[in-house]
Amino acid sequence: MNAPLDLALRPADQDVKRVVQKLADDFGARAMTARATREQHGHGEGLADAGVPDVVVFPHSNEEVASIVRLCHGARVPVIAFGVGTSLEGHVAAIYGGVCMDFAEMNRVLVVNAEDLDCRVQAGVTREQLNAELKGTGLFFPIDPGANATIGGMTATRASGTNAVRYGTMRENVLGLTVVTAEGRIIHTGGRARKSSAGYDLTRLFVGSEGTLGVITEVQLRLYGIPEAISAAVCQFPDLKSAVDTVIVAMQLGIPVARIELLDEVQMDACIRYSKLTGFDAKPTLFFEFHGTGAGVREQAEMMQSLAAEHGGSAFEWETNPEDRARLWKARHNAYYAALALTPGRQAFATDACVPISRLSECVMETKADVVATGMTAPIVGHVGDGNFHLVILFDPKDPADRERAEGLARRCSARAIRMGGTCTGEHGIGMHKLDALVDEHGDAVALMTSIKRALDPLNILNPGKTVPVRSQKTERMSQ
Amino acid sequence: MLEPSVVAALSAVLPSSALLTRPEETRPYECDGLTLYRQRPAAVLLPDTEAQVVEILKCCHAAQVPVVARGAGTSLSGGAMPAADGVVLSLAKFKRILTLDPLTRTAVVQPGVRNIAISEAAAPYGLFYAPDPSSQIACTIGGNVAENAGGVHCLKYGLTVHNVRRVRGALITGEIVEFGGEALDAPGFDLLALVNGSEGLLAVMTEITVKLLPKPQRAQVALAAFDSVEAAGEAVAAIIGAGIIPSGLEMMDRAATRAVEQFVHANYPVDAAALLLVETDGTQEEVASEMAAIERVLKANGATEIRVSKDEAQRLLYWSGRKAAFPAVGRISPDYYCIDGTIPRRALPQVLTQIAQWSSEFGLACANVFHAGDGNLHPLILFDAGKPGDKERTVAFGDRILELCIEVGGTITGEHGVGVEKLSGMCSQFAETERERFLAIKAAFDPDGLLNPGKGIPTLARCAEFGRMHVHRGELAHAELPRF
Repeated sequence: MNAPLDLALRPADQDVKRVVQKLADDFGARAMTARATREQHGHGEGLADAGVPDVVVFPHSNEEVASIVRLCHGARVPVIAFGVGTSLEGHVAAIYGGVCMDFAEMNRVLVVNAEDLDCRVQAGVTREQLNAELKGTGLFFPIDPGANATIGGMTATRASGTNAVRYGTMRENVLGLTVVTAEGRIIHTGGRARKSSAGYDLTRLFVGSEGTLGVITEVQLRLYGIPEAISAAVCQFPDLKSAVDTVIVAMQLGIPVARIELLDEVQMDACIRYSKLTGFDAKPTLFFEFHGTGAGVREQAEMMQSLAAEHGGSAFEWETNPEDRARLWKARHNAYYAALALTPGRQAFATDACVPISRLSECVMETKADVVATGMTAPIVGHVGDGNFHLVILFDPKDPADRERAEGLARRCSARAIRMGGTCTGEHGIGMHKLDALVDEHGDAVALMTSIKRALDPLNILNPGKTVPVRSQKTERMSQ
Repeated sequence: MLEPSVVAALSAVLPSSALLTRPEETRPYECDGLTLYRQRPAAVLLPDTEAQVVEILKCCHAAQVPVVARGAGTSLSGGAMPAADGVVLSLAKFKRILTLDPLTRTAVVQPGVRNIAISEAAAPYGLFYAPDPSSQIACTIGGNVAENAGGVHCLKYGLTVHNVRRVRGALITGEIVEFGGEALDAPGFDLLALVNGSEGLLAVMTEITVKLLPKPQRAQVALAAFDSVEAAGEAVAAIIGAGIIPSGLEMMDRAATRAVEQFVHANYPVDAAALLLVETDGTQEEVASEMAAIERVLKANGATEIRVSKDEAQRLLYWSGRKAAFPAVGRISPDYYCIDGTIPRRALPQVLTQIAQWSSEFGLACANVFHAGDGNLHPLILFDAGKPGDKERTVAFGDRILELCIEVGGTITGEHGVGVEKLSGMCSQFAETERERFLAIKAAFDPDGLLNPGKGIPTLARCAEFGRMHVHRGELAHAELPRF
């Protein structure tokens, strides 16, 4: 799964020592070398990865970030930006050691422009913190990947989430950035203007670049008015295919549902137990949320309800008050932990397939059949409105054969999605786990991505070993 | 002139009817919609297959001949202006809609397909392609992608970059690359976003997958009159501030209103200082409740008259004036110069007031039409190229407007692109570190600079000539680049 290590990328010990010492001198207690701190910063969620940084430093300003990157650039030591460590594909693992920059103390909402529906935040602001600070303005930031990730991390991984079907992903919602380049210079991309056709779209190039092209320090975000009315509903289906087909028809009709989430019967069972949801059966289930004016929401919901009924769906179970709604979505967000709780002692990893909506039914049903054939426990959940679904595969970490079966299932799921014109990473990103899949999926374009990486980070110090395959010049020479 | 060996190589790829070299054949290609700049190319090539495009690029790459791709030539910034020693690669023959899938709501089209032809083909399925630049009856989707074109509806439905899923194209080496993919999110760097708005500097497109949207059940437009431009500007801010995202939000000032009224007779209130057109679309219920909210905001912000379209014919009539603004202004003035800048919406009243003041200082009339909802200004400066000094004053006036756009946090081009027209403006808008990134990206795709040379991204030398390059402590970045 992981690309092999390119040992030539590991910096010389004396260079690392020099950098660590200089950071200790400059940042005092904000440069930490305790083993526990470093280990905690060496991985995200999901599988643990070998990769512990040599030092963790907590910058306070763009200028401090720039000075750290300049130092690393001079010494050719890797530098990795860290939000809160909720990424799933090993994005933050310091596989070649180096400096981890934790943005926990760059967590200010800098400005909210209510009239222009935008705001500017430091990279370490979390999604929930931003929405808490927006209380009272009548605005909100909708992108919701489940985890309470930082805006910087969500930007770097081009996060989407449960309501991408209505509000888009980070790609549509980042208006501009402040970025520290590989040489440690501060640049600004995009801006407050809503459209620009001046120059290449650097903003979107940095969105989703996983810390490999520059370090994102500030983000200008698009905000939305809190809808006049919000309501959520749950609908249960006799079988998985009926649930998926309901979604497909709704999307083709263009019903502007804010969220549609699919949980198969295994996941629903897990959520009922873990989140103590009452009044539901362990059946394939759709969670819906509707946003709009009072009349608009009613209209959308009626259309959706009649569609679901045509596919054998149950009557809608409504959650209109905010507490019940929050409970429902919390249960959805905890799906991963609920799945883990199904079989204690097992580990889980989540796949991330996304296919064109017309192939969704086929892809989900083939995947389900594959899961059943392997006899593994692997619930299916997904933001199916945009064709994205996840398989949470549970396996016994002590049993290599079981792990192999789990990885086989994941590989086949990726291959299936790609075969159907889709992608193996709808929202989790490439990190270090999916480099091979990227090459499978984007053969020719990968060479270009590598050229861009080399152009913007010639020394390969920014989060090396992630997102695009770049070999050190030394290794390149040896292989020739 | 091309080397005979290059002509021979191209002749092996293309039939003689698709290889134009005589001056009378190449003259029609000497400029695009920006007629201030003209240059005849050494040859015009009209391939009709991707394989021919690949061979042409390989040949030009080997002989180091510049290549300028061209769609319908409606660019307003000189994006398709030829290079003297280069070829124009016209994609006019790439005009087939390859597939149209109502289930995935996408269409795969060739780059020479006209913008409106996509919506026409999608109409039987109740679908449409959302970005609608004013030139949509003529401009091609390939050109739209190259310029990241917008239009009246992009406030609600996004720019070209939001409505394209995948682009297939060839690099200058002839290598075919797919940018983006059919699914929601393609992994890795967002090359699709880089290609959008790259003005033909990175790749030559051969196939584009666009998203189609369900046609709203109903649309309704309100026409509101204001007795000052400032009040209209405040109303725009108030509509957006109220959380309403209209499907179109356009403004015209009195000069523009009078010009179009003479032309289309839409019965516009010609004494108003400014008109707003505010459109909402969606289901019956949504349109009714949103229109009620829009009317409330317009009234609260001093609209002196509000008319709401009663039926589709009336809706189209209200729009007819705005859509015809450019030709209408063309009728009342020998020449006009269209400016394209974008500002944060809140700066609108301030910028409009300043433009009015400069208009009297320069002694040049200025008709203003805007995509007001997203702050995209199109001041049309009226001048007479036959009058000595008029053109110079016009350009100076235009530059002042664009400088002001940058000052208030905006950009020098909202949707027309940089082309040859705004290269100097790029030096003002972007710092050297930022321009270096642009050049590095260009070099990653096209290290020899053969694709559409001299456009879009200024060389560091150009900005130095323009007096904007700041060399700090003698540390000259990219010392290897040619300067002066």
